[in-house]
Amino acid sequence: MKRHDQMSSLVWLAFAIYICIESSRLSFGSFHNPGPGFLPLLVGLLLGIFSIVVILQAYLSDQSQEIVPSWYPKEKWKKLICALVALFAYAVCLEILGFLISTFLLLIYLFRSGMESKRWAVAIGGSVIASFSSYAVFELWLKTQLPRGILGF
Amino acid sequence: MDFLSNLSLAFSVTFQLNNLLFCFIGCVIGTLIGVLPGIGPVATISLLLPSTFRMSPVSAIIMLAGIYYGAMYGGSTTSILVNIPGESASVVTCLDGYQMARQGRAGPALGISAFGSFIAGTVATILIMLVAPPLAKLALKFGPPEYFSLMFLGLTLLIYLASGSMMKALMMACVGIFLGTIGTDTISGIERFTYRSYTLMDGIGLIPVIMGLFGISEVLLNIDEASKQEIYKTRISNLLPTLKDWKDSILSIIRGTFIGFFLGILPGGGATIASFAAYAVEKRISKHPEKFGSGAIEGVAAPESANNAASQGAFIPLLTLGIPANVVMAILLGALMIYNIKPGPLLIKNHPDLFWGVVGSMYIGNIMLLILNIPLIGIWVKILKVPYPILFPLILLFCLIGVYSVNNNVVEIVIMIIFGIVGYLLKKFKYEAAPLILAFVLSPLIEIALRQSLLMSHGSFSIFFTRPISLILMVVAILLLVLPLIPGLKRPPKGEEEIS
Repeated sequence: MKRHDQMSSLVWLAFAIYICIESSRLSFGSFHNPGPGFLPLLVGLLLGIFSIVVILQAYLSDQSQEIVPSWYPKEKWKKLICALVALFAYAVCLEILGFLISTFLLLIYLFRSGMESKRWAVAIGGSVIASFSSYAVFELWLKTQLPRGILGF
Repeated sequence: MDFLSNLSLAFSVTFQLNNLLFCFIGCVIGTLIGVLPGIGPVATISLLLPSTFRMSPVSAIIMLAGIYYGAMYGGSTTSILVNIPGESASVVTCLDGYQMARQGRAGPALGISAFGSFIAGTVATILIMLVAPPLAKLALKFGPPEYFSLMFLGLTLLIYLASGSMMKALMMACVGIFLGTIGTDTISGIERFTYRSYTLMDGIGLIPVIMGLFGISEVLLNIDEASKQEIYKTRISNLLPTLKDWKDSILSIIRGTFIGFFLGILPGGGATIASFAAYAVEKRISKHPEKFGSGAIEGVAAPESANNAASQGAFIPLLTLGIPANVVMAILLGALMIYNIKPGPLLIKNHPDLFWGVVGSMYIGNIMLLILNIPLIGIWVKILKVPYPILFPLILLFCLIGVYSVNNNVVEIVIMIIFGIVGYLLKKFKYEAAPLILAFVLSPLIEIALRQSLLMSHGSFSIFFTRPISLILMVVAILLLVLPLIPGLKRPPKGEEEIS
């Protein structure tokens, strides 16, 4: 855990520095009349202090022999990245292709190569049912305005 | 007579046909998502929130509340049968529940947890009726300093109870408060950290953050550590506990109810902590503590009662003070604001139909849930058999639609995915998301209370220590922060799972 703590706290320390720099551009006000920069600067400073404490704690802690699992998945990281890319792609395509097509494509991808590969029949069938039924529930019944895209549906 | 007239108001609202219907829908959905691991009440409620905007606020809150306490009933089913908690509040139920199932006593385990939940839910509802109105009267005396101290105490409590490092929990609270300050400052009208983004001008939305941290990240973790779940193949028979089972567990149910209720009221407490605490108490006072972990019925009855009582007690601070005790209440707070109802001490007075309607629906909801969970248990067990590779694309789809439909804004989908990644990393590096979320929700309230207090006191922080109510709250909060620093005093033992 020691190295993990050092790594993560360094990231938080950097984030704290960012908060402090950015919030010092806002007006701090005074203790009599705190301005918009008051609270962000305060929590930025606290976050910085706490992350330094965690770094020191990790540094001073004894080198125990505990086995720490790796923070990234050694085998499945490709699947994870692919799923994330698919989600981001969905966000980009949603308003271009419309809800039905983008959702169908996302689902087929996730069924086929999300965790374990489902048969094409299952993947296509599942995607069709899921995208149409969610369209029916949200667009037609609950009147959520789902994006229509360039094709008009 | 006050009690009786309130009760009749409660039931007149609850027995309106549409409210009964929404209460039932809430209970069914709650049980369903309680049974399904990988999707919890937090994600579900934020998902369904946008679709409630067209309902009356009373019906909406009745349904959302039903989802929350319904999930507590459903969560135990998976813990007992599969050894996978459907909810974090059912984690401890696994310890003895699954062992009971392995010994062929799945029926009594499921039965006692449903009956225990029912008893706890009903008692908690009565307690709400007794406690909430006087508390709201007291809260009318609260000024900005008291509110600040109370929220400070709430955050501190959550940090104190954090399962991992307290320092890390403190860091998460800071990050949450910071995220809450993004957007237009309500006092000065100045934009903060928005970088001219229209989406950020209104601040980061609560729903994308919650769905990211609790929905998407959970799916990512499951892709990464997919576990094969085996349902314990057992015939579920004898759901009705025997007389001996009742004798063994009735006191545990009562203790669990009260522990759960009071931990539920405390801001920062909640169903998960309540279930752990109730289990720990039972083990400590039991005459045969060695039986715990190998199928003691008390170890199922107590935590299941506690998590139900807690999930209902948690409504008290929300409906009387306008302060959310946990993440689910935080979403409901957001919901109330969207419905244009100001949560706070005046809520009971200004919207009696809302308060008493919700309380009344809890009586009915608990009866519905008892019926849903005892005779119909077979249906839920079948749903458990839906394999995760089929389930997870659907969970993702619900998250995507849910977030999009709040504001029809694609940027919020991106924000959700980013918080999904953040949530995944937080889990991997052993940070807890719960303090972050609570701090994030409270941030605007804390900031206003803090700045108004300092205006009142001309810049002196002593205002928090000179007013009696505020002083008490602050002293408790500071004690909680300082206690762990004193060597030899250890924090109470925690479960391995995070609190959410």
